Amino acid sequence: MTLVDWLIVILRVALPALIFPVLVIPLTWVERRGAAFIQDRLGPNRVGPFGLFQAIADMLKMFTKEAVTPANADKPLFLLAPAIAAFAALSTFAIVPYGATLKIDGREIELIGADVSIGILYSFAIVSLSVYAIVLAGWSSNNKFSLMGAIRSSAQIISYELAMTTAAAGVVLAASSFRLNDIIAMQMRPMPFVGFIPQWNIFIQPLGFIIFLVSAFAETNRLPFDLPEAEPELVAGYHTEYSAMRFGTFQMAEYVNVVVSCAITVTLYLGGWSLPGFHPESILGVVISILILAVKTAILVWIFVWVRWTLPRFRYDQLMRLGWKALLPLALVNLLWVAAIEMARMAR
Amino acid sequence: MTIQRLVFDAAGLIAILFGGLMVVARNAVRGVLTLVVAFFALAVCYVMLLSPFIAAVQVIVYAGAILVLFLFVLMLLNIGHMPPERSGRPMQTFLGSVGVLVFAALLLGTLRGAGAAIPATTGMDPAALADPASLSRQFFSEYLLHFEAVSVLLLAALVGAFVLARREKKP
Amino acid sequence: MIGSIPLGDVLLVSAALFSIGTAGVLLRRNAIQIFLSIELMMNAANLALIGYGAALGTHEGQVIVFFVIAIAAAEASVGLAIFVALFRHTETIDVNKINLLKW
Repeated sequence: MTLVDWLIVILRVALPALIFPVLVIPLTWVERRGAAFIQDRLGPNRVGPFGLFQAIADMLKMFTKEAVTPANADKPLFLLAPAIAAFAALSTFAIVPYGATLKIDGREIELIGADVSIGILYSFAIVSLSVYAIVLAGWSSNNKFSLMGAIRSSAQIISYELAMTTAAAGVVLAASSFRLNDIIAMQMRPMPFVGFIPQWNIFIQPLGFIIFLVSAFAETNRLPFDLPEAEPELVAGYHTEYSAMRFGTFQMAEYVNVVVSCAITVTLYLGGWSLPGFHPESILGVVISILILAVKTAILVWIFVWVRWTLPRFRYDQLMRLGWKALLPLALVNLLWVAAIEMARMAR
Repeated sequence: MTIQRLVFDAAGLIAILFGGLMVVARNAVRGVLTLVVAFFALAVCYVMLLSPFIAAVQVIVYAGAILVLFLFVLMLLNIGHMPPERSGRPMQTFLGSVGVLVFAALLLGTLRGAGAAIPATTGMDPAALADPASLSRQFFSEYLLHFEAVSVLLLAALVGAFVLARREKKP
Repeated sequence: MIGSIPLGDVLLVSAALFSIGTAGVLLRRNAIQIFLSIELMMNAANLALIGYGAALGTHEGQVIVFFVIAIAAAEASVGLAIFVALFRHTETIDVNKINLLKW
């Protein structure tokens, strides 16, 4: 195996699959310090400089705790649920291009896990499988509060899935392709009248961006939509009965979901790894494109954290009403808007 | 034996195995979960048969929505735990088993030679077959009436399900 | 055959799944299990349709399967609604016990 073959294995297989559990560690630190500063306190600052090793301390604690299983729980399903959650969270990133195409030794290595023709539709398929993790966790815990939390959470996820996919349908319509590489290529073109601003979808479909972002909040069970797992509400919802590393798996899956949702939002609406006027050719250019995607995703993740510690949470009926009666019709309006723009573009 | 055929055979075997597990499952929740795995394996089969869009639709709609609906009904009515009762009619079970075996034998025997008569060079090339864009063009040109009719059908099913499952108002 | 999967393989899997589904319908007494076996039979038919579509090199297999999946979704929701209404009256899910036309 030559160097290029090793690079292909690392960049296309290992990196998309394995980078996210590593990224969860700085994200928990960002969340706790960010929450603290928003709440006018300090947050963890004892373990390591600026509290950076706090996440490692948390991980060690989780590994060494006793894993308790409830008495009448359905044991195989109880153990399967966190596994499904982790699987769904880690598989979603496979179709996201995390950098420009690397040209080395005359071969081209696309920085993407799998460039299938159905692109973004694959991510939505995996998200709809993640509902099972929640439903199984609630059901197998043999606990009425867990079941209620699981039913609420899964109803929330399948309701906001509709608005999310309809908003993404606007992006797919504009790009005429499901592939995220084509969507980024479409966003690299300059705007017709104002030359230097790129055609990022957030400028062309702002309503779609807002709907997708709100639905991403709901899909990842983050505030203001975290009713199923809020402490004053249903104990801890569907993961009440989970302890030690099983709970750690659910937390990791939730954080990975946040990062991947932000990465997908950035790719669909904010241009992904591209910047206006930047066409990477060399290896340095490719590395810069990876950093550009990382910075944009980090900004969006910070917005997720910021919103979590700023807004109050929705009540369950308010949540369902928002998803079905507000976001879904607005997503259809957005689709009509994009169709009108495409017809105007074709007529010119 | 190409890699696609290998993957298809493996996925088909998993689908058959989990389909069988569903039929002998202890309770309905186990049945639904084994069927989820079987449907996911079938989606892999569809991808090998150059239909990635249908595979995605299968996972999103069948595995991710219909079976979730089954699970919701089982959990809200709390009937998922019920184990199968002893059948009080052994003759029915015996005749049913014999009937299914005869049927399976007939079906497998009939279909074994069915694939040989198709000429090898008809139709479009594999890249165009797997492309969702050309598939969707079919939906909006040749099959437009079917498409709209199915959307009306889904509306009727939505209203029907809502009306049927509603609790009657006590006077 | 294009796609390099012989049609015989596809039909074998489809026939096996269909037979297993038939066994489930005939031999189980839990109404939900019967419903699930019917869904399995429909998926077996879908597989056969897509197999033929790939063998003949046409889009029609995928188009028909798309419509079948949509119709199966509609049928599953209405069927489960009927089941829920029935269960509220009879409190049982054993199809051998639900044997009255009117109560």
